[in-house]
Amino acid sequence: MSMALVVEAVDLKKTYMLGKIPVEALRGVSLKVEKGDFLSVLGPSGSGKSTLLNLIGALDKPTEGKLLIDGVDVSTLSDNQLADLRRKIGFVFQFFNLIPRFTARDNVELSMSIVGKSKAERRKRAEELLEIVGLKDRMDHKPAELSGGQQQRVAIARALANDPRFLLMDEPTGNIDSKTAKEIISLIKNLNEKGVTIIMVTHDQHLAREAKRTVQMFDGVISSDVVN
Amino acid sequence: MKILDVFAYSFSAIKLRKLRAALTTLGVVIGIAAIVALLSITQGLQATITDQLERGLAADTLIVIPGSSALGGGAGEGGGFGGGEGFGGGSTRALLYINYTSQINSLSPNIVTSLAVIQKSGYIQNGSGITRPVTSIVGVDFAQFANAFPTTFVAASGSIPTNPADNDIVVGARVSYPRLNGTLFVQAGQDVTLIWTNNTVIPFVNETYTAHISAVLDRIGGFGLGGPSDTSVYMPLSQAEKFFGTDEADMIIVKLKSSDLDVVNSTSTTITNYFGNQVSVISATAVQSLLSTIFSTVSLFLGGIAAISLLVAGIGIMNIMIVSLIERTREIGILKALGMKSRTVLHIFLTESIIIGLMGAIIGIASGWVLANVVALFLGRGGIIGSALTITPILRPEVMLGALGFGVGISVIFALYPAWRASKLKPVEALRYE
Repeated sequence: MSMALVVEAVDLKKTYMLGKIPVEALRGVSLKVEKGDFLSVLGPSGSGKSTLLNLIGALDKPTEGKLLIDGVDVSTLSDNQLADLRRKIGFVFQFFNLIPRFTARDNVELSMSIVGKSKAERRKRAEELLEIVGLKDRMDHKPAELSGGQQQRVAIARALANDPRFLLMDEPTGNIDSKTAKEIISLIKNLNEKGVTIIMVTHDQHLAREAKRTVQMFDGVISSDVVN
Repeated sequence: MKILDVFAYSFSAIKLRKLRAALTTLGVVIGIAAIVALLSITQGLQATITDQLERGLAADTLIVIPGSSALGGGAGEGGGFGGGEGFGGGSTRALLYINYTSQINSLSPNIVTSLAVIQKSGYIQNGSGITRPVTSIVGVDFAQFANAFPTTFVAASGSIPTNPADNDIVVGARVSYPRLNGTLFVQAGQDVTLIWTNNTVIPFVNETYTAHISAVLDRIGGFGLGGPSDTSVYMPLSQAEKFFGTDEADMIIVKLKSSDLDVVNSTSTTITNYFGNQVSVISATAVQSLLSTIFSTVSLFLGGIAAISLLVAGIGIMNIMIVSLIERTREIGILKALGMKSRTVLHIFLTESIIIGLMGAIIGIASGWVLANVVALFLGRGGIIGSALTITPILRPEVMLGALGFGVGISVIFALYPAWRASKLKPVEALRYE
């Protein structure tokens, strides 16, 4: 086995209780993501891709199977340890999920403040990152004063703040107009070229094709795994 | 997450909903202000009354009155306030005679001297024929009395004779100026008629005699418990014996070497025992300790009522925190996705309530203090207990700290549940929340 695996899933299963009815969202998913990879997980709604995202993001635990994130078996972890693990994962959401009352800079600083970094260190790093994502002149703006694309750039900067093992993106361009989406995609590809591992969940085939590798999900299992 | 960052985060959340936070804080302010105002007024009142007591009864004197009672202090107050008959009703009582003073003097080396007092209620008639009641006509040895109460048995006009003639009397300030507003009823140098209704014979007889006012006392204030009072008339003891036709003393004032508590208590016991528990011995210390018990009960009761309003404030905090928790479910999800631990989420919510509680308590203490002073001002102006009392509210540091702790404590206790719920939110569900 390669030492550079950031995610390794073996026969992952996840069953939800929808009222009294058990729903099998994942029915045995095995997957390996190597360092430096750019993987897209493609599938229609209900295919289990969001469930897989939650598991890889250490937001939830599998019902069965083994899931190693950065070499750690998620199923044995306490809530506290899961929180620690999430600090090594950079989340980027479809709806940006910025804190509305915070400026762009404060939003980027937030993830570093949670980790306990000093104010001076946070500020320096936040400004660096905002410059990288092209928002140098927008640092003191609140989310409401930024366009969708700009908000997503702030979210990417926030995700990168703690030097994560990988970025986990959920429909990163789902809420952005197509022109801006292209800019976001090129930013993501750019980051990947610089060595950032990216796992991106989407139902958009065009977007999925931008990745190096596409995993197609259907009905709780992986139906294809191809290199683009 | 660093403590300062938690604080900054909580503060930013409060700042976002200024009006809501202000209203929640107002609840705490009202509760704390009520507690602080009530306690500082009660404590001010207690201090005033204690002070008045000390003026009326020196700390180094004991008052011996006939009659034992389970409530020695209580019976004593009756004797002191009233016309001289202690209401030791139903209990056995020894009669005190004027010549007992020499026996009492020999009881303990702690006793400097003792003096007998005869006092009855009666009337005084001035030169224009107007008659007014006086609380008590007191027969006492002027020289000894002045010696026992050197600060209060002092003439404002005229002079207190050391060897008084039979018809020399000294009157309290309010006998001279009943309303204390300059309207003169009698003054030093005038002749007046003293009237006492003798009820030991049937039918009752009004005894009268013409007296000469040698001196009017300085205004004393206080209750005149044993010591000189503003509403009494003083005549020589020998004259009182003749006028009232008795050699029974209504009380014997015992002057001690010191006001030391041990001396006061041991001498009290010695005297009580000597008279076979058939007298009551009152000391300022004993009355004060009784009053202090009463006041602490009253404080507790009033404080308890005020505390209820704080409880309501606490429920307000809980309510607002639950609303805030629901509104911020998604935010909590984001924080958790960014790696925030449940414990830190709990801290953030508790810190918000601490900020509210702290602000509320500080503003509450300040406004309670203002309120207490306003109320005291009104009470002083309106006049309670015959305008003899003015209350200066007292805010003790321990009350201040207690109020602060209580305000913050209540806020934290009522925020525990919402904070706990926030911390237990599942990140997946919280993130999905719209």
